[in-house]
Amino acid sequence: MQVFGPKELQSDVLQKNLCAGCGACVSLCPYFKTHKGRTAAMFQCTRESGRCNAYCPKTGVDLDRLSATVFNGTYAGDAIGNFKAVYVSQKGSSAGNGNVQNGGTVSALMQFALKSGAVDSAVLTGRKGAVSVPEIVTDPGKVFSYASSKYSTSPVVAGFNKAAAEGYAKIGFVGTPCAVTAMAKIRSNPTELADFSDKTGIVVGLFCTWALDTWGVEKTLKDKLDLASLQRVDIPPPPADVMTFTNIHKDVMLPLDEIRASIPLACAYCHDMTAEFADISVGALEIDGGKNRNVIIIRTDRGEKLYKDAVAAGYITGEPLPAGVMDGLSKASMNKKIRAFTRLSDEKMLNGDAERPAVIINAPALGKIMNSKGGM
Amino acid sequence: MSILDYKEGTVNLLMGNEAISRGALEAGVRVVAGYPGTPSSEIIENLAKVADKSGIYVEWSVNEKVSLEVAAAGSFAGLRSMCVMKQNGVNVASDFLLHLALSGTRGGMVLVPCDDPGAISSVNEGESRHFARMLELPLIEPGDFQEARDMIKWAFELSEKIHNVVVMRSVTRLSHASGNVKVGALPVNENKAYFSFGSHLLDPLNGPVITAPVPMRHRQQQDKLKVIAEIFETSEFNKYTGPEKPELLIITSSACNLYSMEAVNILGLDKRVGILKLGTTYPLPEKLVKKHVDAAGAVLFVEEVLPFIEDLTRIAAAAWGDVAHKQYHGKYDGSIPTVNELNPDIIINALAKITGIEYRAVSEEYEKKGTILSFTGAPNRELTFCPGCPHRASYWSIHNALSLNGKGGFVCGDIGCYTMGILGAGFGAIKTAHAMGSGTGVASGFGKLGQFGMEQKAVAVCGDSTFFHAVMPALVNAVHVQSDMMLVVFDNRGTAMTGFQPHPGTENDAMGNVVNAIDIESICRAIGADVHVADPFDLAATTEKVLDLVENKSGARVLIMKQSCALSPEKKGKKKYEMSVDESKCRGENCGCNRFCTKVFRCPGLVWNRDKGVSMIDSVICAGCGVCHGICPAGAITREEARV
Repeated sequence: MQVFGPKELQSDVLQKNLCAGCGACVSLCPYFKTHKGRTAAMFQCTRESGRCNAYCPKTGVDLDRLSATVFNGTYAGDAIGNFKAVYVSQKGSSAGNGNVQNGGTVSALMQFALKSGAVDSAVLTGRKGAVSVPEIVTDPGKVFSYASSKYSTSPVVAGFNKAAAEGYAKIGFVGTPCAVTAMAKIRSNPTELADFSDKTGIVVGLFCTWALDTWGVEKTLKDKLDLASLQRVDIPPPPADVMTFTNIHKDVMLPLDEIRASIPLACAYCHDMTAEFADISVGALEIDGGKNRNVIIIRTDRGEKLYKDAVAAGYITGEPLPAGVMDGLSKASMNKKIRAFTRLSDEKMLNGDAERPAVIINAPALGKIMNSKGGM
Repeated sequence: MSILDYKEGTVNLLMGNEAISRGALEAGVRVVAGYPGTPSSEIIENLAKVADKSGIYVEWSVNEKVSLEVAAAGSFAGLRSMCVMKQNGVNVASDFLLHLALSGTRGGMVLVPCDDPGAISSVNEGESRHFARMLELPLIEPGDFQEARDMIKWAFELSEKIHNVVVMRSVTRLSHASGNVKVGALPVNENKAYFSFGSHLLDPLNGPVITAPVPMRHRQQQDKLKVIAEIFETSEFNKYTGPEKPELLIITSSACNLYSMEAVNILGLDKRVGILKLGTTYPLPEKLVKKHVDAAGAVLFVEEVLPFIEDLTRIAAAAWGDVAHKQYHGKYDGSIPTVNELNPDIIINALAKITGIEYRAVSEEYEKKGTILSFTGAPNRELTFCPGCPHRASYWSIHNALSLNGKGGFVCGDIGCYTMGILGAGFGAIKTAHAMGSGTGVASGFGKLGQFGMEQKAVAVCGDSTFFHAVMPALVNAVHVQSDMMLVVFDNRGTAMTGFQPHPGTENDAMGNVVNAIDIESICRAIGADVHVADPFDLAATTEKVLDLVENKSGARVLIMKQSCALSPEKKGKKKYEMSVDESKCRGENCGCNRFCTKVFRCPGLVWNRDKGVSMIDSVICAGCGVCHGICPAGAITREEARV
């Protein structure tokens, strides 16, 4: 597949406002930088092809190629992607404590991965006010200070690029589906680097329906909350239909409709709710009106090994999935796929319809999705 | 060598501006003031160098208007005074000049504007000639280098004859070219400065100097101009060369006189074409012009930019009856362009067309080849900042901060080397550039457009000299109206572009005396702006600072970038760092760099080594500022403290 360059990245993604702010093109060169969750083109690079474009999850996403890289198979168009098993999980007694959002599974898993040597570093997302900031963490004791969902676009792949450049070779990565897609692209060595090696130790994906643009959040909350001391953002279970923003002094509830104006356009084109190209994907599980547990999808061999080791070591728990959970998850995930592929198809961004397609998907998989009518 | 060293009666090769300086000294000028601006600056510099020895006072004033006021004070006190500026300086000074023309002067006072047709060193090609006509002041124009020396002396005499300002206009090709000049004696000046105001209000020589009563003064001014017109009719500076009854009469002045002579000579038209070179262009010596037009078959006006002599002649010709019925060539029939500098080629082409001569300077084939070669054979050398220039570093931070902000912010430029910020040298940051001080005024306006939905941030830039010249009132305005704008002052410790003249912020004056340096930071604070200071060579900290000020602050804020010009006396020839490129680390054209230093940052001290595929330092021109160390993505550009 032809790899395009920075010029096409700007025209196909940045100028069309389709950038998800994942940071895949950042920390590779001086031409792209990230600021407050947004990617900025600093100067015009004249290269005809480059990693910036090759790693971007919003252009040239060849789902078969990514499936081959991560699963050694083709893309099947299943609702929650390729998986080995699905469990209910939460952090176990061996894990640390912190400001966890739901079950704390991700933090506990990364803490264990660092402690056990499964990874030599972890790229996690911290918070500076309302801005999500990726950081390279090597001390397992610090993992829990990065807990809790940020709900704002994070250039976490830039953190991975930085960690790779600094010489880390088994990097633990946690990110939303767009970031995980970028990671799969990176792992597929699209620019055919001669000295390539996969520098990931484990890739953990986070379920995501949409994220928020930091600038939009700041604008909306400007006169309502001091964002410099923002600590937590959450969506309480239905029927609340609100989003809560909490700083050290107070919390503010905003109707979801009001906050939706700050969802980047990129999210409307995203077909991936469960981070399908991760080793392990984790999401919130709402049981009995509470959100203190997680759904965990085990996708790869190394994901399975880490999960089993972490359970055995008491860092996380693993229980069978309650009835109905899989059905709901699949439905929601398939609906996201149908919405995105309809849009991509209508706007001629799919496969051969575009000179430079945003997504390349094989016909059987696309047929399966579009015929599913939102169910399994 | 100074202008004092030329012995009386000797012929010397002098630059036009030197000839003016020397002539002024010979005329006994005592007070000289001006504001730097190409092509005028050397006049004051030459005089400043000899101020001490000659016992004259020379000043670089804060701006042209004040310089004219300073010079006027010398005149009011009975001394001969001169004021020097570039063409657009006359715009700045024109308010005072309008009034001065009405109040009149005492000691001989000459205003020397140096125009820049073609805007070689300007952002306009305005003309000072029109001010003379508009404000009813005598205008004279030297036609060669000797005349530059001779006419300035005469100008002082004229001024004292009518007690008003005389304008002597020069242009780039006269001010900056050189020719033979025979010099005269230097006088001994002894008259004491004394301002006489004891007489009644209507006494123009010993009463208060004011413009009232205006109709009376205005009448007196116009009467003086009539006296001048008569003197001009017989002036030796109006010269005719050519046949008694030329087929075509060229009427010209200033440097165009030299071009016209060359054109006539090259075409061998000296038996057919005559040249009337006017040294006195306003008021027009009508009788003289009429006599020559009468003798000629047709007329060609050769002058730069807008028609001036041509207009005056056409107006006068309306009363000439049959004499007026000639073919007039010039601006109105398109023979001579109304924009840009003239040169002998343009006049040759006009003459060839009018006289029906076939003329080709070179063969068609040669011309074609030359055109192709000049586009393809010569390396592309764009205007850029010097190695070690703080402006490049400042623009880097401003550009990066505005790019990160991502809301279409832009820079309102101003006048100085940093005007090049509109080009690649400043990463294209500048999006508006007009007159001195205008960047801040325009930004003050942009900063009030938030109520109309404007989210773009306006950042004004100005140099330290420009700050004092015209930015201060604009900043006062911005602070007063609470405009959401930001001013970045590029404080490089001198008026760098025109040759590092002092300004009110420097510790020395034009003559080298220690004077009061005015602190820009204190002024901005006193005005009430939110003031910050940065070292532009610290790219990371400065970018962060600019970004913070752009994004998180409102109202008028000022960031002063402090770093001396690379050519300043304190830095010139001294390297802080020895720079080198670690070739094993340089990524060259590979993804991850793509020649970032030589394609984007583009300091001339960085050179692309095509053979090796790596960057290298041109140690001859590298100023050792060390800034490029901070831009290399691979850390391949290394710096070491230079050994002193």
